[in-house]
Amino acid sequence: MTAYGYPLIFGFLFGWALQKSGLSHYDKIVNVFRFKDMAVIKFMMSAIATGLVGTYIVIALGWAVLPDVRATYLLGNVVGGLIFGVGMSLAGLCPGTMLAGAGQGSLDYLIPGGLGFLTGAVLFADTYEQVYQHIVTVWNFGNVSLFGWFDLNQWLTIFVFVEFVLLLFYLLEKSGFGRGPSDDLSR
Amino acid sequence: MRTVIAYLRRKRWSPYVGGVLVGLTSVAAIGFAHQLLGASGAFENLAGLIEKSISPSLVDNFYFKYIQAPGISWQIYLSIGVIVGAFVSAILSRDFRWRVLPDRQWREVFGSSVLKRWLLVYFSAILLEYGAGIAGGCTSGLAISGGVALAPSAFIFVGAAFMTGTPLALFLYRRKGV
Repeated sequence: MTAYGYPLIFGFLFGWALQKSGLSHYDKIVNVFRFKDMAVIKFMMSAIATGLVGTYIVIALGWAVLPDVRATYLLGNVVGGLIFGVGMSLAGLCPGTMLAGAGQGSLDYLIPGGLGFLTGAVLFADTYEQVYQHIVTVWNFGNVSLFGWFDLNQWLTIFVFVEFVLLLFYLLEKSGFGRGPSDDLSR
Repeated sequence: MRTVIAYLRRKRWSPYVGGVLVGLTSVAAIGFAHQLLGASGAFENLAGLIEKSISPSLVDNFYFKYIQAPGISWQIYLSIGVIVGAFVSAILSRDFRWRVLPDRQWREVFGSSVLKRWLLVYFSAILLEYGAGIAGGCTSGLAISGGVALAPSAFIFVGAAFMTGTPLALFLYRRKGV
């Protein structure tokens, strides 16, 4: 169950949510970079805020231990993000939404997308020692969270973060900013 | 019950609902399996498996020897789940269709050449996977999975992606009325 049952179920829910939110379509992804359709930001910030609150509740209840926090090594995070942004903006997909697009029958996602990801994976593995191993050492802060980095009170930070996210959502909805034509539910 | 089924069959949900569902899913993954969600890692595992089946000498490198041995990993099962979840969602809402080009906008900017789209997707996907590797994860594996623990890298990564993605999109769409 733990080897494949859980990941299949969690993946199912993830893919379902991506497809239902329309993020498996090219226009939804490219339009967030043009600030014409903020669905990606709404989706991502809802996921982060919900996940943040839920994660720290289950940890506080003693039901779970936090896995290693994603590492912060500034040069690599920035350079990787810069490269990633080019691909995401050009193709209108990212690794997760590519899989969701493949599930809805988009062959341009499944075939050149899948082959491209595999090619990129081979390149990454082949240059790991020469590139990644060097870049990861620059400005490396380790597996830190904002709490530890700035010595912040955990629950207060979570509260303030969620408030900021809700304020962002309120302002987006009130102004109608980034409510793109592709948000039309009938299409 | 009827409204539940009607809702499940709807073509679009609010992105807030989708996001909350993914947030809860990532909590469940941490709670039940001590794992974080991600998509780019699966391609490393799968690429290693394919290379190994062609010739074991291809995976004779530092990454596959010491960092992550090729194998059917948790991430691969997760990725299969993503494909199936999107498939069921699309079937129920009649959004499933074999497509060779995006439904909207692409043609207005790039024309209707399938070859052009497929070549651009191929090269973009190489950049996406390599960039995700360097950064330590992708939109799901770093931005969302890092974000749920307030990792600074999650927000730095998203900011950096916009720093190239936005000028590029604005350049491609200059003079286009879409």
